[in-house]
Amino acid sequence: MPKPPPMHPLLPTLCRRAALISLFALAATGRAADWEMSLDTRLVSSDAGRSFMDGGLGTTRFDRQNSGIQLGRARFALTTSLGELWSAHFDASAWDDKDRSPVGVTEAYLQFRPYPRAGYRFRLKAGAFYPPISLENRAAGWESPYTLSYSAINTWLGVEVRTIGLEAQLDWLGTRTGHDFDLGVTGGAFGWNEGAGVVLADNGFMLHDRQTPVFGRVGPPGAGALPFQQFDGRAGAYAGVEGRYLDRVVLRVLRYDNRADPTQIDSVSGAIAWNTRFNSAGLRVESGSGWTAILQWLDGETLIAPPGLQLVWPFRAQFALLSKRFGRQTLSARYDRFEVETNVPDGDGWQIGHAFTAAWLFDADAHWRLAFEWLRVRSYSYYRTEFAGPAFATETQLQLAVRYAFDSQSRY
Amino acid sequence: MRPPARLRRIGCSARRAAGALALLGALGGRAGVVLAATLVIHVQTPDGHALSGAVVTVRPLDTPARRPAPVHAVVDQVNRAFAPDLLVVPVGSTVAFPNSDSVRHQIYSFSAAKRFQLPLYRGKPYPPVQFDQSGVITLGCNIHDDMLAYLLVTDAPYFGRTDGQGAWSADVPRGRYRVSVWHPRLRESEADLERELTVGDADRADLTLRLLKSLQPAPITDRAHSWDY
Repeated sequence: MPKPPPMHPLLPTLCRRAALISLFALAATGRAADWEMSLDTRLVSSDAGRSFMDGGLGTTRFDRQNSGIQLGRARFALTTSLGELWSAHFDASAWDDKDRSPVGVTEAYLQFRPYPRAGYRFRLKAGAFYPPISLENRAAGWESPYTLSYSAINTWLGVEVRTIGLEAQLDWLGTRTGHDFDLGVTGGAFGWNEGAGVVLADNGFMLHDRQTPVFGRVGPPGAGALPFQQFDGRAGAYAGVEGRYLDRVVLRVLRYDNRADPTQIDSVSGAIAWNTRFNSAGLRVESGSGWTAILQWLDGETLIAPPGLQLVWPFRAQFALLSKRFGRQTLSARYDRFEVETNVPDGDGWQIGHAFTAAWLFDADAHWRLAFEWLRVRSYSYYRTEFAGPAFATETQLQLAVRYAFDSQSRY
Repeated sequence: MRPPARLRRIGCSARRAAGALALLGALGGRAGVVLAATLVIHVQTPDGHALSGAVVTVRPLDTPARRPAPVHAVVDQVNRAFAPDLLVVPVGSTVAFPNSDSVRHQIYSFSAAKRFQLPLYRGKPYPPVQFDQSGVITLGCNIHDDMLAYLLVTDAPYFGRTDGQGAWSADVPRGRYRVSVWHPRLRESEADLERELTVGDADRADLTLRLLKSLQPAPITDRAHSWDY
């Protein structure tokens, strides 16, 4: 069978055109668009090993070379309605690192949301967006309202997982029809995810808030990983269910398989297709007195099968987060556990670790947010010994963050 | 609480009394003190605490129920929430749904008593919506899933919501009545909370209705609207 031509250069072009069309649509609809901007700066103190963005094996975003003032994130997002039932969302960020372009798009999608009928609601999304897994990254820009650094599970999703395709969701709105529960099913089909898994096998799990832009690179120029590639001609898929008890409890279960053909090697870039599949489950419980508890669980494997080999990296991670709001302040604590195993004879990619995170967030007003986070990761990584380091490392990162945000809804 | 209405003695046949009752009903009940007594309904949670905000509807059983006069009401949208989030109106009333937010809303109801939708809007582009059928109407916004409000459209001549002490009162002619209680977070059926009572010779009739099951927890209000809920 002839190999399909590499498609990945096409989609960025299409995305750029879609963005241009969106901007024209925005100009045409005038005030119909809602926009948001934010600038997040950090004062960092870290003793961590070299950051993944510099090709290192550090488990935090900032390493000991990065202590001082850093750009946390500069973000611009646009949501505009296109007619009555369609809307477009565009989310772009700059992280001041060595990415392919100074500004990257983390999500860009069209959404179709017809009116609910007889207690059922249908939604369709097309474009690039996060699959419905994280119960932590619920704030604008897929940020966590609890901590600065995401859990190990959600950090990995932010680095390597994105739906570049379609997602359909059907909800039964029980709470709108006199019941205590809502139920939903969701399914997605996507491409451009053959690279997902390589960062997990190379670096293992990390805890940070640096989301990879769509078609972006993880790591330094020339040596970084490219999670969003398409060259085996196979679409990935996921299916999940969600249950809600009033507005208090959310339970999500999802099966994900990028269905990559692990024997495929891109003839252009030489990249190998990583077949990554996992099960995930999450539970979030909130009280009326400001308490939030989140549990998330991830279990899967990623594998490649170049000629004569089958290399597998099973991975699993869990976290428990407890948070309490006190007016405009939020105190959160999280415990993460993570593990990557492998059948590679010399143990390349083996990682096991755990992390404690404590954070204080203060929303001074509608624009300013102050945050302080302490993160300690203790991990064993086989790869570290190959770089003449100790396999065990305890890395501590302190961050003080000041964020200024404003949007089209702000009263000036 | 309003003081009990004074009973005015009048001598008349039962038939005339019934006619007077009907006339009284036609005149609006509350305004007439003739033959009236004060009906006081107390609503309590299962543990005996006063329940404020519960909707009380009262229908006479002896005479044909007078239809309450329709009203023109307003449910505004402020800070991505309906204001008020619960409104009781008589059948035939109209309700305007202005949007005072700078963000656009898209209001819908798929409730049997009234299905309607108001396409994306800001300000007041649409005429008020008329509600001709009694029942509970759940309102939502197709853009903001956490926006939720209720309209109770009633054909009962006497209705209202309990105050901070969990009480509601009205001056009603003597006779037999069916009293219903409703609340958006009620876990039991409305039929379980229906009672019949007779307003007799006394100036005042009291009825205490205690819920059998605790209410659903109130919606969480201190979350940012921008969060995934």
